Formats: sequence, structure tokens, C-alpha cells
Amino acid sequence: MNADQPTLVGGDSERQTKTKKKIKILIGNSAQNTQQKLQTFEAQALGFADQLFRVALRLCRDRAKAEDLVQETYLQSWRSFHRFELGTNLRAWLYKIMFNVHYSNQRKDRLHLVPVEETIAETLAYDPPTPQRLTEAEVLAALERLPRDFQIPIVLSDVEELSYREIADVMEIPIGTVMSRLHRGRKILRTELVNYARESGYKVSNMAKRGE
Amino acid sequence: MECRNFKELLDSYLCQELAVETNHQLLNHAEHCPPCRAEMASRRNMREALRRACSQDRLSEEACDRLRARLRAEVSASESLIGRRQRWTSLFDLRFAIPITVTAAVLIVAAVVMLPFLKSQTTPAQLFELSEALLSEAASDHHKCAPKFIQATRAAVMPSTVEPTYVGLEKVAASGAEGLRLHAAHVCAPDGRRFAHLVYTRDGALISLLVTERDKRALKIGNLPSADVSLAGLQEANLKNLSLGAFQTPKHVILVVSDLPTAENHKLAQTLASPVVEHIRKLDGQSVAALPQYRFDDGLTVLIASLRKGER
Repeated sequence: MNADQPTLVGGDSERQTKTKKKIKILIGNSAQNTQQKLQTFEAQALGFADQLFRVALRLCRDRAKAEDLVQETYLQSWRSFHRFELGTNLRAWLYKIMFNVHYSNQRKDRLHLVPVEETIAETLAYDPPTPQRLTEAEVLAALERLPRDFQIPIVLSDVEELSYREIADVMEIPIGTVMSRLHRGRKILRTELVNYARESGYKVSNMAKRGE
Repeated sequence: MECRNFKELLDSYLCQELAVETNHQLLNHAEHCPPCRAEMASRRNMREALRRACSQDRLSEEACDRLRARLRAEVSASESLIGRRQRWTSLFDLRFAIPITVTAAVLIVAAVVMLPFLKSQTTPAQLFELSEALLSEAASDHHKCAPKFIQATRAAVMPSTVEPTYVGLEKVAASGAEGLRLHAAHVCAPDGRRFAHLVYTRDGALISLLVTERDKRALKIGNLPSADVSLAGLQEANLKNLSLGAFQTPKHVILVVSDLPTAENHKLAQTLASPVVEHIRKLDGQSVAALPQYRFDDGLTVLIASLRKGER
């Protein structure tokens, strides 16, 4: 009996150190995992911060609010990053989260989007030729004057180069609505620019290329 | 393809949303139509101007730093949560099983031992609060039984066949019942609980003095009283437009029920019930003098005595 005892004790202590190690590994692993995950997330997602911010600016029309919206978007997407499938479109996913956050903020503020004035573009039967000489400031000014419901699809499409399908997903509106808003929005934008060009004395049909 | 179609499709072409065939048709048309070719160039130019214009807006360095810091904070918060969770799960490790069981056992034993002490820490008012069941039965007895005797003119005497405690109750109560007219003295049990019932009137108001034997249901906590119930004093309640006042003795509950306003019933209960309460408490085998004194009572007495000394 006595001879057996030391081995018994030895076995016990061995088991104990094993469990201790296991616990340490568990804790260490999870911390490491989270750090690694954050690094992956930052490397992949933070690159889109400027792009998100640009759209956020159109949504909020205020720099500070847009910054908050971008931050909230990143926090939310970090929290659900485990649900994101690597290899799918991260940028569209981020936009979608941003619109979700924005919509829920709006619901909180009880500040709903002004309903689209569908008639605005209907009256524009004439589609003028696009002016060839235009400055960035002119384009931006014309964009600012557009109703927000037209502005945002145009920015998502022409600036951020999202596909119509992605815009529909992000904004949670049917793809047909996206297309009609883009169509009308662009028409209004062109008309605005033509009017501006006329007022400034430019010839719309001027073929001279804008020197850069 | 006509020029009109070309213009309609041009934006979608620039967005690369068209099918390959349509792209070819468009390019074909542009090749043979200089104005449309010019329009294509203009729109492309406008698109690029728009992109350049919007790209000037960038998230500021400060905002970017804030964003990173916020993410780090979020991560460290979630990490500490995970750590805590794991420390908890490690408690279930076998090595801890025995110490935990022993500690739990000690705590349970301590709790059981401490239970009476813990109870005595609740205020007497809470401890001796009468149950709603008792109060509503008393109110119901008054409501069902008392009106029958308003017209009674015969002298009311409690029959000698009832419980010894209740015999002669009307005589005991008489000293506190000044200005009241006694209509009946009997024992009744309309809802199952037995009450000694004295029915009085005063200026048309119907008043019942009820005495009932205490049982486990009498107190809200459902236990028999563990200490001096006289500490509870007069308890009052309002049920079905009736005012109730109740006193307790170790074995009985004495109630005064009337349709008087609460304040008047309160006054009446004090005068009407006090001789009965005194009488029954003696019968219960515990005169007031013999009741154990309580620490806080002593403290108060000492305090008052010392204050009085100071006055002098």
C-alpha cells in the first residue's frame, strides 16, 4: 500500500498541472483570437472609412453627425463581424450596416426622410446634352441641390461605384426604385448644370475639351 | 439603335450595368453618331468630376483615431468579460468541488441557524400583519350577520354553551361600549371561521365587535406568532366600504368593524375593544405584565428616563 501511494499522489498532481495549463491556454487563446480578429477587421474594414464618411455626409449633412455615424457603423459591424462571410463584399456590407444605423437613428429622432417628389423629374421631358466644361464645384453644387432621395443613389453609383443591386440592398428599396431614382436624379443634375452653363455664358455645344 | 435609346441607356452603360450585347449596340451607335459620342464623353467627364469633387471629403485624422480607440475599448471590454466567464467556469473544476461543497454546506447551516434571528429583525408591524383572508372574513361576517339584529329588542346575552373564552363577553365589553346600543351577542360562522359577535348601533351606524381564535392563516406570513403580538397594536384596513380595526392577543384576534369613517372607527375601536383585549389576553395566560420585555423597549424606556432626568 505504502509503495503505491507516491504514484497515486504523483498522478494527481500531474493531472492538476494539466488542468491549469488547459485553463491558461483557453484564456490566452481567446484573448489572442480577439486581438487577431480585431487586426483582421481593421486591416479589411478601416480602409473604407473615407468612402463610408462621404455617404454619411450626404445622409447627415453635418460633419460631426457623419463622423458619429461612421463610428457607430464600425462598432456595429465589429460586433457582428463573426457573421460576416469572408470573401463576400465587405464594402457593401458596411454600407448596409451604416444605412441600418442611420434609419434607426432617424426613427429615434422621428425625423423621417422627406417623401420623394416623384413629379419633379416627370416634368423634365427634355433631356439636354451634358455640358462639356464643368468644374468640380459646379457639379458638387448641383448635387447638393438635389433632393436627398436622388442624391444618395447617385453618390452610391457614380462615386462609390456600387452596382444597382447593391444600392437596392443597402438602401432597402426595390431595384426598380433605384433605377428610376438614378434616371431622374441624373436628368435633374444635367439640367441644373446646363442652366448653370447657360447663365455663365458657356456654349453647351462647345466641343473644346476642358484642359487639366 | 436610335439616339433617344442611346441617351436612355448611356448612364447604365457607364455604370457597367448592361448586358454585353447591349454594350456592343451602344458602342456601334456611338461610332456612327458624333453628337452621341460627344454626349458619352461629356457624361463620363461629369461622372469623373463628381467623383473627384466628392472624394475631397475625407474622415479627419482625429475622427479616425477616435474610431480606432473606440474599437480597442470595445475589444478590451469584451475580453474582460470572456476572462470573467472563464474564471467562473474554472470554479466547476473538480479540484474546487470539495471546498465549494463544504463552503456551501456551512453557509446553508449558518442560514438555517440564523433564520429566527433574521426574522426577529423584521419590524413587529410586518411580523404581525393580519392576513387579508382574516380581515375579509371579519368584514363579511359583519356584512351578512349584523343587519339581522338591528330590530332586535330583547336583551342580548352570550349563551353559556359557547367557548369559555367568549362567555360573558358582552359584560366585559360593556365598560368600553358607552353610548352604544347592544343588539346581539352570539357566535356565528357564516364563512367557516367562528367569530364571537357583538352587534351594536350608534346613531344608526352598525358596529360589530368580533373575536376569533387565531390560526395559522391569521397572520400574513402564515406562521403562528413567535413574539408578543401586543406590539402590533391596532391595525386598520378598509374593505367593501367598511372600516376595520384589529388587536391581537397570543391566541385571539379582536376586530371592530363598522360602516363609520376610518377615523371614527379608529377612535371607537380603541375604546370598545380595549377591555375585551385586556380580558382575553389574561385568559390566554399571559397578562401584560408577564410579557417579555424587548430590548428596543428597554432602550426607549432608558432614553425617556434619562431625558426626564435632564428636564429636572
